Amino acid sequence: MDIKEIQNLIKFVAKSGASEVKLEMDDVKITIRTGSDDKGDSTTYVQQIPVNQPVTQAIPVAAQAPVAAPAADAPAAASADDSKYITIKSPIIGTFYRKPSPDKPVFVEVGSTIGEGDVLCVIEAMKLFNEIESEVSGKIVKILVDDSSPVEFDQPLFLVDPS
Amino acid sequence: MHIIKLDAIDSTNTFLRHLSSEKTVEDYTVVVANSQTKGRGQMGTVWDSQPNKNLMVSVFIDVSFLKIENSFYISMATSLAISNALKAFQIKPVKVKWPNDILADQKKISGVLIENVIKNNQLQASIIGFGLNVNQTYFEQLPSATSMHMVSGKVYHLDEVLLSVIEQLRYYIDILKTGDFQKVKDLYESELFRNNKPSTFKDVKGVLFTGIIKGVSNSGYLQVLIEDEILKEFDLKEVKLLY
Repeated sequence: MDIKEIQNLIKFVAKSGASEVKLEMDDVKITIRTGSDDKGDSTTYVQQIPVNQPVTQAIPVAAQAPVAAPAADAPAAASADDSKYITIKSPIIGTFYRKPSPDKPVFVEVGSTIGEGDVLCVIEAMKLFNEIESEVSGKIVKILVDDSSPVEFDQPLFLVDPS
Repeated sequence: MHIIKLDAIDSTNTFLRHLSSEKTVEDYTVVVANSQTKGRGQMGTVWDSQPNKNLMVSVFIDVSFLKIENSFYISMATSLAISNALKAFQIKPVKVKWPNDILADQKKISGVLIENVIKNNQLQASIIGFGLNVNQTYFEQLPSATSMHMVSGKVYHLDEVLLSVIEQLRYYIDILKTGDFQKVKDLYESELFRNNKPSTFKDVKGVLFTGIIKGVSNSGYLQVLIEDEILKEFDLKEVKLLY
């Protein structure tokens, strides 16, 4: 693994929002921690597995800071903003679908204006297709779940700006 | 009961859903089509049927009396309604393949597509769609499909079959209204295909294993007795019954 690959990996982890990723391959073991847990000690370790291989690579922490810092700031700013939004949560466990069927357009997109009673998504559980209607009116600010992915009970699905 | 008959429609479920979002529709409003141009099965699959031979039906039912966690009981009631209507027409053997395919002679005779409307974390309405093969004489490229006619050799009056299913559906939904969920579940389990028989299943990794279907949970998971007397619950995506 060369420096470039490791840097790309760090960028990827920073963007993903994960706070820690451990990776072990052949002779390298990498632990990447992002600064999102607010301890200020955003460290990136690249350590070797105790097999004698001369590939010790130490990435200076400072070099990664420009990548990690904006990513760490973003969620904080977003969560401050999010407080004025209404979160629409999943009433059931199932699979989240944004379209009534694969060849149809999505029910809503970011920026869509929705009214009370509008269908937002379908959640399928045990072959029962449940259309979830909105209880509020406003504008879709964020869609928090990808199409066709599993959702848990009470998992946030949409952020709606009611103003 | 309010019946709307259509000659051709893209999908009876879609039609009824639109109708119900535009105006208040009566409980047990039934939409029946002679042919569907875009009959839907599960998420993207199609339901194909020769015109005027079979039933393609959607029923609107107010299910606001049901708690959201009991929504699988709609599926049980529907399966029971169709299997019992078939038995009333002397079609046998009829079984329910979990969760809601109806088999006659181990071949698929009816499929169900249920769409619920949920608002304020509460079930509002259910649109129960089903296709039932009645008088079709053959299915091209569908060796595991059958019809009432193919099983018995008789020709049936579509309206009679329709009314029988709706009557049965009302019967089972009414039991749910009284709160006797156990009765519906017991009946559903007794109709389950391969219930209490050693069967072979395939898991998501493609690994085959043996187990015995013992029933379903309230939310519809299949309960299978596997090795060491362990009763394990499976989601639809986790397991496939081989037969």
